[in-house]
Amino acid sequence: MSIFREHKTIADRAASDRARHRKKIEKAIKESIKDVVAEESIIGQSGKKKIRIPVKGIKEHRFVYGTNQKNKQVGSAQGKEVRQGQRIGHRRRSKPQEGQGDQPGNKPGEEMYEIEMSLEELAGYLFNDLELPELEKKNFKFTTQEKMKRKGKRPYGIRPRLSKKETIKQKIRRKKAAIKAGSFDPDGDERFTFHQSDLRYKHISPVKKENTAAVVFFVMDVSGSMTKSKKFLARSFFFLLYQFLNHKYSSIEVVFISHTADAHEVNEEQFFTQVPNGGTLVSTGLQKAEDIIDKRFHPNNWNIYTFYCGDGDNWSIDNKEALSAFRRLKEVNQVMCYTEIGKLHDYREYSFFAGGSPEKRLWDWTKLIEDKDFKRVRLEESKDIWPAFSKLFGGKK
Amino acid sequence: MSDWSMDELQEWDKKICSIGEALGLDWYPIEYEICDYKEMMGHMAYTGLPTHYRHWSFGKSFDRIQTEYNLGMSGLPYEMIINSNPSISYLMTENPMSTHILTMAHCVGHSDFFKNNRMFSETGADTVIDKFKSSGKRVKKYMEDPAIGIDAVEKILDACHAVRFQVPRTPGVKRRSHKDLKKYYTELIRNDTSGQWDNFDINKIPLEPDSNLLGFVAQYNRFLEEWQRDLIRIVEQESLYFVPQACTKIMNEGWACMIHEKIVNSLGIPDDYFLSFIRLHNQVVRPHLGRINPYHLGFKIFKYIEEKQGFKECLRVRETHNDETFIKTYLNEELCRELNLFSYSFHQKEGYNKITDVSGEDSWRRVRDDLIKSVGLSSIPVVMVRDLQPDGTLILEHEHDGRDLELSEANKVFEHINDLWEGEVRFTTVIEDESWEF
Repeated sequence: MSIFREHKTIADRAASDRARHRKKIEKAIKESIKDVVAEESIIGQSGKKKIRIPVKGIKEHRFVYGTNQKNKQVGSAQGKEVRQGQRIGHRRRSKPQEGQGDQPGNKPGEEMYEIEMSLEELAGYLFNDLELPELEKKNFKFTTQEKMKRKGKRPYGIRPRLSKKETIKQKIRRKKAAIKAGSFDPDGDERFTFHQSDLRYKHISPVKKENTAAVVFFVMDVSGSMTKSKKFLARSFFFLLYQFLNHKYSSIEVVFISHTADAHEVNEEQFFTQVPNGGTLVSTGLQKAEDIIDKRFHPNNWNIYTFYCGDGDNWSIDNKEALSAFRRLKEVNQVMCYTEIGKLHDYREYSFFAGGSPEKRLWDWTKLIEDKDFKRVRLEESKDIWPAFSKLFGGKK
Repeated sequence: MSDWSMDELQEWDKKICSIGEALGLDWYPIEYEICDYKEMMGHMAYTGLPTHYRHWSFGKSFDRIQTEYNLGMSGLPYEMIINSNPSISYLMTENPMSTHILTMAHCVGHSDFFKNNRMFSETGADTVIDKFKSSGKRVKKYMEDPAIGIDAVEKILDACHAVRFQVPRTPGVKRRSHKDLKKYYTELIRNDTSGQWDNFDINKIPLEPDSNLLGFVAQYNRFLEEWQRDLIRIVEQESLYFVPQACTKIMNEGWACMIHEKIVNSLGIPDDYFLSFIRLHNQVVRPHLGRINPYHLGFKIFKYIEEKQGFKECLRVRETHNDETFIKTYLNEELCRELNLFSYSFHQKEGYNKITDVSGEDSWRRVRDDLIKSVGLSSIPVVMVRDLQPDGTLILEHEHDGRDLELSEANKVFEHINDLWEGEVRFTTVIEDESWEF
């Protein structure tokens, strides 16, 4: 005889473990996002655009046998004809492609999740969780504008601001009081005249108003020395900056300026794909930004951010000019950033062999003006992006 | 609502039990728990154990089971039974009576197998539920301990799970402790006249390569904190408990199928029940094209033994064999041909799976041997502890049997092992005929 029991329902026993697993997936999403942002055309896109993000599952690893020729499996084929040497199943790639670890589905049995999210959600993901809230308060500035605003009435002031209505009201009040007190007879011939103390003036005082509009200048060196992979890094970085600022300001404009030996305002696609020839004069790109600021974006009305990105390969005669342009821009910008892509020692060695003594490069020059409004960051590979980002906005992460 | 009541269940159970006894079966009392499909998924995710400890991987498998079930990709199992005394089994409220009858008969077969097969003699069926309950509580305690926390616990558990089957695979064989081994080898060296033991280092740890990686780490890693050691022991104990089931999957299922068929055939059930029983039974024991269905293979072999040698012999076989010896002894050419078994492997040059052997006059033996290599734990690589050097370096070696490891996975597992071992870990294997060290 067996025992039968109606199962007393335990509240969903897997709930906490599922939550834990999802947390791990979310972490994996964040990892994957960093790879994805670099590949999509997303700067300046509407926040509603959906992108697909492949996420590697949280795999539990074990020792397993590989799929080599000696690892034999057995199958049954009842009712079917089989012969030696017959091919079965579908063609598979012989080896998972190593090195391209980000590509989904390459390895057999790899668990993949594909998550679709809008840019808005994605930006939320990226920033909400990045210990940024605190540093936002500290480091987020809005340009302010003084405006005169009415603020009550006062008994003194200048003639043009005399408020007739208020003044008469005061006079009527005084008159009524006088009648009540008996010091004034309304039926008499005597006029009840205005008095100095009746006068009321409109008062105005200056108030500060925050501007919530921002303009972001992305200035990039597109000369031949900026290789595709360097641009790729720049793009990822720019994307994050854009999303971050977009998150904070009510409206945001983006200006792309590409420069070689001279500078042009371009659209996003051109910005990342054009490969013109020519030398590099960093100052031209900066001056272009200055021009545009002068013409279209007055610093009192706009929060201005300028991000310069290059590989530090400037013609040496231009360094001084570039530096002073940086200085000028810094004054009007909320944050100005000089980003250099590539390894530091690369060009040091290069210049050493080329010209004898290592001369000061843009990286070294810009150190002179580095402060809380002017930041230098260096990106060597994509994992540098987050630390650079945090450095820029004062985080510790 | 369902077409059955508790009274009916009990009535059928009474009949099933008396037929089981008449067959000469001897099983643990069975405790059926009636649950809904959602609870069933929960039990599946936690390997059936009602008191299992928590870990995110079970949440993951729950989600997978649920997704597959919701998408109609897979159904839920009809039976799920635990090797315990009493044996706990689950019946889903959603299933019709005919399914329950089959399930209950099937469970009698499993429980009989658990109780009688020699591989299970040390699994501690009487205490297993309490043991898991206690370890579950301890894991919870560690997770909630502010000085430890869930992340630290998961780090150890993740690492342990990665090598969870690196435990001895020979249940029922007595394992000698280091002390016993030392005594044995000291004797051996003392009485040695041939000189073959002259270079033997008696102070070596371990004296013989140790297949119990988890146990070894728990014993010899001096830097472990007590809770870490406890976690490793918990996983080790669980693995040891499950090893017999992994070693007898084909036999166990084959036996249960044979028993349920026998019982249901002599139950005298109504015709409409009988039809759905036949349908279900055939679904369970059908061959899977291109793969091995353990239910099918085990059932076929047991039927063959019964046909040739009678049911008494089947009873004996279910006591003494495991999958490897079962196949080696009873899977003959005739059966191989009937089941049309073949071996295949992946040929990298062509990018295809290619059939290497079919069940022919001579080649059936090769197919059988390939099958033995891929059943149960044989499909999991063996990693041995070779040496613990005085400087704390742990030397591990994969026992290469012609099959190479998947390196990308092995790399990750290697990282996990490093989480468990304070000090250097060296791990060697063979890849494409050349030795490989991590």
